[in-house]
Amino acid sequence: MISTELKKVILNELNLDDFDLQDETIAQDVPGWDSLNHVNIILAVENKFAVKFKSYEVLRLKNVGDLQKLLDSKLGK
Amino acid sequence: MLAIFKSYSIQNLVNNFIVLFNIKIESVWNLLKYKPGDPLLFNTSLFLILFFFFLIVYNLFKNNKPARVLLLIVFSFYFYYLSAGYFTVILIISAVINFFFGKWIASTENFPKKRILLAITLILNLVLLGYFKYTNFLLQAISDLRGSEFNPLQIFLPIGISFYTFKALTYIFDIYYDTLKPTKNFFDFVLYLSFFPNVLMGPIDRAADFLPQINKEPFISKDDLGKATFLICSGLLKTVILSSYLEDNFIGRIFEFPLRYTGVENLFAIYAYTIRLYCDFSGYTDLAIGISLFLGFKIMDNFNSPFKATSIADFWRRWHISLSKWLLDYLFKPIQISLRSWRNLGNVIALVVTFFACGLWHGAGWNFILWGIYFGVLMSIALFLQKPKEKLYKALKIHNTKFLRFFQIIITFHFIAFSFLLFRLSDLQIARDMLSQIFDFFHSEVALQFVEKMPLIFGLIVIGFVSHFFPAKIEAAIKKSITALPIAGKIILLAFVIWLVAQFKSADIQPFIYFQF
Repeated sequence: MISTELKKVILNELNLDDFDLQDETIAQDVPGWDSLNHVNIILAVENKFAVKFKSYEVLRLKNVGDLQKLLDSKLGK
Repeated sequence: MLAIFKSYSIQNLVNNFIVLFNIKIESVWNLLKYKPGDPLLFNTSLFLILFFFFLIVYNLFKNNKPARVLLLIVFSFYFYYLSAGYFTVILIISAVINFFFGKWIASTENFPKKRILLAITLILNLVLLGYFKYTNFLLQAISDLRGSEFNPLQIFLPIGISFYTFKALTYIFDIYYDTLKPTKNFFDFVLYLSFFPNVLMGPIDRAADFLPQINKEPFISKDDLGKATFLICSGLLKTVILSSYLEDNFIGRIFEFPLRYTGVENLFAIYAYTIRLYCDFSGYTDLAIGISLFLGFKIMDNFNSPFKATSIADFWRRWHISLSKWLLDYLFKPIQISLRSWRNLGNVIALVVTFFACGLWHGAGWNFILWGIYFGVLMSIALFLQKPKEKLYKALKIHNTKFLRFFQIIITFHFIAFSFLLFRLSDLQIARDMLSQIFDFFHSEVALQFVEKMPLIFGLIVIGFVSHFFPAKIEAAIKKSITALPIAGKIILLAFVIWLVAQFKSADIQPFIYFQF
C-alpha cells in the first residue's frame, strides 16, 4: 500500500494531478517517469523524509511498492 | 566377352562412384568445417539446410529436457565453431567464470564481499573482452603518442565476444542486485550464453527472461508460427535485398570515391546507407527472433522503427534496444544514482560516459569513440533544452501536433544519418568530402537522371523507407494474414522469399552509371 505522503511527493515531481499508484506500478506505467525524472523522484523522497538511500538499494527497486518498503525500512516502520 | 564387359563396366561404375563419393565427402567436409572469416550467417543456404535438419531432430526430442538442451548446446557450439574456430574455447571459459561467480555472489549476504566478487567478475570479463578487442587499438594509441612505429599484434577477434560477454553480465548484475536467483544447472547457463540464434549478433537477451524458458516444454502457438514466418521472410528480404544488394551496387562505390559524384548521389548514398545499416542489423535480429520462435524460445525485441523517433533519446529507445537497455540499466543508472546529488551535472557525466562506452563497444576505433561521444553530447544538450523547448512549443501552439512531430522526425533522422557517416568511416576526410559535395556541388538535376537510370536502386531505397514508415497497423495486418495461412501456404511463402533472395544474391554486380552533370 502506497502512503499518501509518498504518492504526493512522486506526483508533485512528475507534475501530475492524480495517478493511481499501486504496489505493482512500474515507472514505465506512469507518464513522465523516465530515467531522468527517476533520479529527481529519489532525491525528492530523500529530502522530504530526511532519509538517505544507498545506490544499490535504489538500483534494485522494481516497482513503487519496493520504494515504499525501502522508505519504511529507513523510517523504522 | 559380355562377362568381361560386364565386369569392366561394374568396376568402372564402382570406381566412378568412389571418385564421385570422395569428391562429395571432401566438398561436404569443406563446407562443414571452420573457414576463417566466413561465419555461418542465417541468410545463407548452408544455414537454412542445416537448420531444417536440426529442426526435425529437435522436434523428435523436444519433450525430453536433457536431450533438448544437449541438442541445442551441441548445435550452438558447432554453429559458433564455424565462426570462431578454436576460439570457441573462450566462450566456454566465459561460461565457467560467470556461472561460478554468479553462484558465489548469490551465496554471500556480506555486502562488501558481494561487491568484491562483482568487481572480480567484471575485471575477468573485461580482460577477456579487452585483450581480444582493444589491445592493438590501445598499443597503437600509445605508440602514436610517443611517435614510435607500431606493429600490430596478431590477435584474432572471436566473433560475438562483445555480445556474449554482455549477455553473461546481465546474469551477474541481476544476481548482484538480487533480482535473479542463479541457476543451479551449469548446462542451462551454457545454453543461455551460447544459444546460436543470438550468440553472434544479439539481441543481448536477459538471463532472467531466457533461463525460465529452458525448463518449459517448447510450445509453438499458431501466432508464434505466423510471427516466425513473417520475421524470417522480412529478415531475408532486409539483409539480402535492402542491404547487401544496395551496398554492392551503390553505397560502397560512392563511399569509396565521393569526389567522383555529385552532391545528389552523395546524399542518396548517405540515405541509402542509413536504411541499409538498419535493414542489415534489424534483418539479422528478425532472423534471430524468428529462428528462436521455431525452437520455442522468445527472445527480446531489438528494433522498433527507429527512424520514426522524434528525438535522439527516442531513437535510442528504438534502436538496438537490447544494448541500449543494457547500458541504461547497468551503466547509466548506477552512475546517475551515485551522482544524484549533483543533479544535471551527474546526468551529463552519466550520459557522456555511457555513450563513450557505447561507441567503444561497437569497435576499437576513434570513429566509434567519436560516434559515441557525439550522442552523449547531443543527449546532454537536449537535457538542458527540454524545458525551454516545451515552453516554446506551447507558446507557438504546436505542442503535440502532427506538424511538430513531422519536423522532429526529419531533424532527428538527419542527426542519425550524419552519425552513421562517423560510424562507417574511419577516414574522416571521406566524410568531409561527402559533405562538401552535398553543400558545394549538389546538382539537383542529377536526381531525375538517377531515378531514370537506376530505377532498381532508387526503388529499393524508397521501398526501404516507405516500409519503415508503414503504420504499425499495416505490419500487424500482414502478420495476421501470414498467421492465417495454412502450413503449406507458409512453406510456399518462405520458399518464394528464399527464391527471390537467391535471385538478388546471384545477380551480377550492376554496372554503375556515371551521371552527366
